[in-house]
Amino acid sequence: MKSAPFEHHEPESVSEAVSLLESLDDPTILAGGQSLVPMLRFRLANPDVVVDINGIDSLEYLREEDGYLKLGALARHADVEDSDLIDERYGSFADTAPLVADPQIRNRGTVVGSVAQADPKGDWGSVLIAHDGEVVVEGPDGERAIPADEFFLLPYDTTLGEEELITEARVPTPADREGSAYHKLKRKTGDYAMAGVAARLRFDDDGRIESAGIGMTAVDITNARASEAEEALEGERPSPELFEEAGELAAEASNPESDEHGDASYKERMVDVLAQRALGDAAERAGAVKRRVTQ
Amino acid sequence: MSSEPDNPDVPDAETEYQHPEDDGPDPEKHCGHGRGGMGEEVSRKEDKRFITGRGDYVDDIKKPGMLHCEIVRSPHAHARIEEIDGSRAMAMDDVVAVLTADDLLEHDLATMPTLMDDTQDVLVNDKVKFQSQEVAAVIAKDRYAAKDGAEKVEVEYDVLDPVVDAEEALKEDAPLVRDELEDQEDNHIFDWDTGNEEETQRAFDAADVTVEEDMEYQRLHPAPIETCGAVADWDPGKDKMTVHMTSQAPHAHRTLFSQVSGIPEHKVRIVSPDVGGGFGNKVPIYPGYVVAAAASYVLEQPVKWVEERSENIQTTGFARDYEMTGEIAATEDGEIEAVRVDVLANHGAYNAAAQPSKFPAGFFNIFTGSYDIDAAYGSLTAAFTNTAPGGVAYRCSFRVTEAVYLIERMVKVLADELDMDPTEVRRKNFIPSDAFPYESATGWNYDSGDYEKALDKALEMADYEEYREEQRRRIENDADKLLGIGVSSFTEVVGAGPGKQCDIAGIEMFDSADLRVNPTGNAVLRVGVQTQGQGHETTFAQIVAEELGMDVDDIVVEHGDTDTEPYGLGTYGSRSTPVAGAAAAVAARKVRDKAKSIAANELEAAEEDIEWDRESGEFHVAGAPDRSITITEIAAGAFMNHPDQEEPGLEATNYYDPPEMTYPFGSYVVVVEVDRETGEVEFEKFVAVDDCGNRINPMIIEGQIHGGLAQGIGTAMLEEVTYDDNGNVTGGDFMNYLLPTANEIPNFETGHTVTPSPHHPIGAKGVGESPTVGSPPAIVNAVTDAMSHAGVSHVEMPMTPDRVWKTLSEHGLDIGPADNVAFEFDDDGAGEPADD
Repeated sequence: MKSAPFEHHEPESVSEAVSLLESLDDPTILAGGQSLVPMLRFRLANPDVVVDINGIDSLEYLREEDGYLKLGALARHADVEDSDLIDERYGSFADTAPLVADPQIRNRGTVVGSVAQADPKGDWGSVLIAHDGEVVVEGPDGERAIPADEFFLLPYDTTLGEEELITEARVPTPADREGSAYHKLKRKTGDYAMAGVAARLRFDDDGRIESAGIGMTAVDITNARASEAEEALEGERPSPELFEEAGELAAEASNPESDEHGDASYKERMVDVLAQRALGDAAERAGAVKRRVTQ
Repeated sequence: MSSEPDNPDVPDAETEYQHPEDDGPDPEKHCGHGRGGMGEEVSRKEDKRFITGRGDYVDDIKKPGMLHCEIVRSPHAHARIEEIDGSRAMAMDDVVAVLTADDLLEHDLATMPTLMDDTQDVLVNDKVKFQSQEVAAVIAKDRYAAKDGAEKVEVEYDVLDPVVDAEEALKEDAPLVRDELEDQEDNHIFDWDTGNEEETQRAFDAADVTVEEDMEYQRLHPAPIETCGAVADWDPGKDKMTVHMTSQAPHAHRTLFSQVSGIPEHKVRIVSPDVGGGFGNKVPIYPGYVVAAAASYVLEQPVKWVEERSENIQTTGFARDYEMTGEIAATEDGEIEAVRVDVLANHGAYNAAAQPSKFPAGFFNIFTGSYDIDAAYGSLTAAFTNTAPGGVAYRCSFRVTEAVYLIERMVKVLADELDMDPTEVRRKNFIPSDAFPYESATGWNYDSGDYEKALDKALEMADYEEYREEQRRRIENDADKLLGIGVSSFTEVVGAGPGKQCDIAGIEMFDSADLRVNPTGNAVLRVGVQTQGQGHETTFAQIVAEELGMDVDDIVVEHGDTDTEPYGLGTYGSRSTPVAGAAAAVAARKVRDKAKSIAANELEAAEEDIEWDRESGEFHVAGAPDRSITITEIAAGAFMNHPDQEEPGLEATNYYDPPEMTYPFGSYVVVVEVDRETGEVEFEKFVAVDDCGNRINPMIIEGQIHGGLAQGIGTAMLEEVTYDDNGNVTGGDFMNYLLPTANEIPNFETGHTVTPSPHHPIGAKGVGESPTVGSPPAIVNAVTDAMSHAGVSHVEMPMTPDRVWKTLSEHGLDIGPADNVAFEFDDDGAGEPADD
């Protein structure tokens, strides 16, 4: 790697990291480095100071606690991929992890780092949105939780303060009749999403959708919520027609751009398709329906 | 060799050295003498060092005092350079020099010839012609300092409008790419045509049926895993320039280097060490090599230049970029009467295509393919654009890939038009197996072939009829995944080439082998070709083992060093086995001839009574098989007891000028599933039957086929070097230039037939490129086949989900997830519908 020279700091605790962020001039945080290192290598990022948090052992966790699934800032994609807890209870996380980049990147890259990068093509932001998740940050004034909806501002830009460190991403633990899924369209292994949709559905005792969450990847300037689609779902019973309507509403809410991998119109249509697929999986995982392919 | 047709062009060399009692190895037997000769799956000699990380690549080379070169590149595709200021870079501690075109002009090194006799700036003199073109070079004590220094070089540009599309470039008001050339008033480079225009037109006028299709063979990059690089080392004591470089053709590069630099050729040494894949990318000379050499010459220290991945994709030789229109004239029952093709070729900013100089469009005129077609006509126009120069033969024998794509796609288009099975159209038109040697309408002399046999085998392996049945069933049931079956029955023309036809920069395309047997009975074979992963060190040793009855482990193959190897033209265009492999066999037979005389001396018999027994690998006295002698014993005799009438020693050299090209062929069958919701394509079955004549190492062939098929899949599905309207490369790194990984590659089922080349000393034809050439049309045929019932005739490569879905949608074949899904509700389940 032929990066420009930079100063490298290795704090061993969150408080040490935060005081470094406070005292240093315009520091950049290094976690898994799967976006930052290529940017350094291309010299698209030329930081004078890098704060490397990989030595903060207390951030290495993935657990349920206090009604949340919590992922510490050093939980790697591979940790999610390999977790039995995730397999049992968090369909969208289990779907997403193996679809992130390739195994090498998943071994090193972190979920929180991907969220912090705020690339609209990143997968985890959509999952957080669908689950009404939050990021927990630590700064000079202590800890605060930022809802995913309020976190993403622009591509690569968030509401994280300059002297703050994200320590955790968390989502509420699911109810009994709740299921989630993530569907992603990409051209090859290791490629970013052309489009992706995370869906979460919670059903009431009557079999109606009590709460719905839909997050979208790569089809807007940030990971985005499909609010109208969620509203259309809530209070209704699942059916192919309902999901078709939700898919259309999600597609309408998306705002993709054309690039060499696909036209905007195609991506919009794929939001529709992926949303329907994700909703079907989520409903099935919630035990609400069984799907049958008719041919 | 069995069933070989008569060929009047059998070379003298072969007549002389192919012994009457010895027809060469028997293809059916695959030998298996157990010595590692022809047909044995010998483990690759190269693998130990590669697998254990002991390969030596250019970037592994470190020399005392070695400096590092970083190239400053233009961010603009078309711009005049107003000023270059290197003073801030020079002020940095570890920066030794900043070179610009002015510095190179002083040493007459400012330009270099391309392989098509164009002149390319080494560092831009006056005007930038494509994005990332070489503008200046920074030489520093380490690579990091060189990179830091390059960022400090300030260049002032006057930005001009670029033109990136060939069709746009030929319009009257297009920006002029090459304003430095006298008499160049537009972006037109050359027109070329082949075949008989009038005869072809007559056939079209009279035909029952004609079909026409536009298709683009997109710009690809060979993208070898090792990028290009060089370590240049000028020795002022010996006045000698040594360049270790990523070269597929070290000797040809030595001659070119000498011509560019003015250093006499015997004072230039090119060494191509281990090379991590070439695929045609390492055939041309690139500015980086010349800059490193110039810097070493000026500074009198070794200088290393190794490019980065994006520099490799954005600036070194691309491949393809042909916009083609194909037409076929046929009878109602599918007999092809004529084929016509028109091409617009984007050559980039310089005419730097890599092909034999008499073939400005390479071997594109093989476009009649495997078919006996009476009339053919092809025309081509090449244009300059503000894109990187290229047109290299990417795992391809000089535009054969484009030609095969065209004809194999057109046969499918014709079959659809006639509502015939595409395999029936192929059978009807194949050159019959008893018609070889066959002269095509565009003048090629095909050596041998049995196309129907290969097709039959492929169809059987692929369960073709069952898949056709399944395809019909899915259409009837309106299934959400359509099935497509694609076939390609391709013919290659490889082994360039006969000196009467082929040359690179004037040098005939022979190749060479020099075989020296040591007193202890082992041997060194030096060849003029250069392996980049093809396994020459094993394959060529097997040829010698076969011809001399030696053990394959007793032969070392050396290549890549112009100080020790005999002159050769290098490795590309599947030429190594057809040309250098032939030279190795002939050199071995020459040694065998001399060995016979020594054997006679050792066995105290008359030379005419000595017989060579291929099976045992020994010489014996006629009628007395017990009185035998091996090559090891003969070697000792050659050095310790040489006959009076012979020189001591046991060695021979052969420079082999092939009498004709060789024509490997095959049939591929690809079955795909097309997702009607997303346009995604999945491979269901992939069968490849190849015929490369006699097979030397089936395992290496299998590896070649697998690699080439992977590249064919990349071509058909993923890869394209794209540009935006401002001339910015938008597909210039591996985030945007998508190479297939193991996940994108299906399970390949390979098979083979054996139709030896009648004019090649061991009946071999070359195989490295068949899969890259043959598979893209099979894949595109499969995807179009899935939709042809709705009238789809073509999908452009790369077949992105977007393109496939649009095609589905335009023909009413797209569906949404709700179209085919119903929900069931468990009796006791929460989802049970209420009565409301």
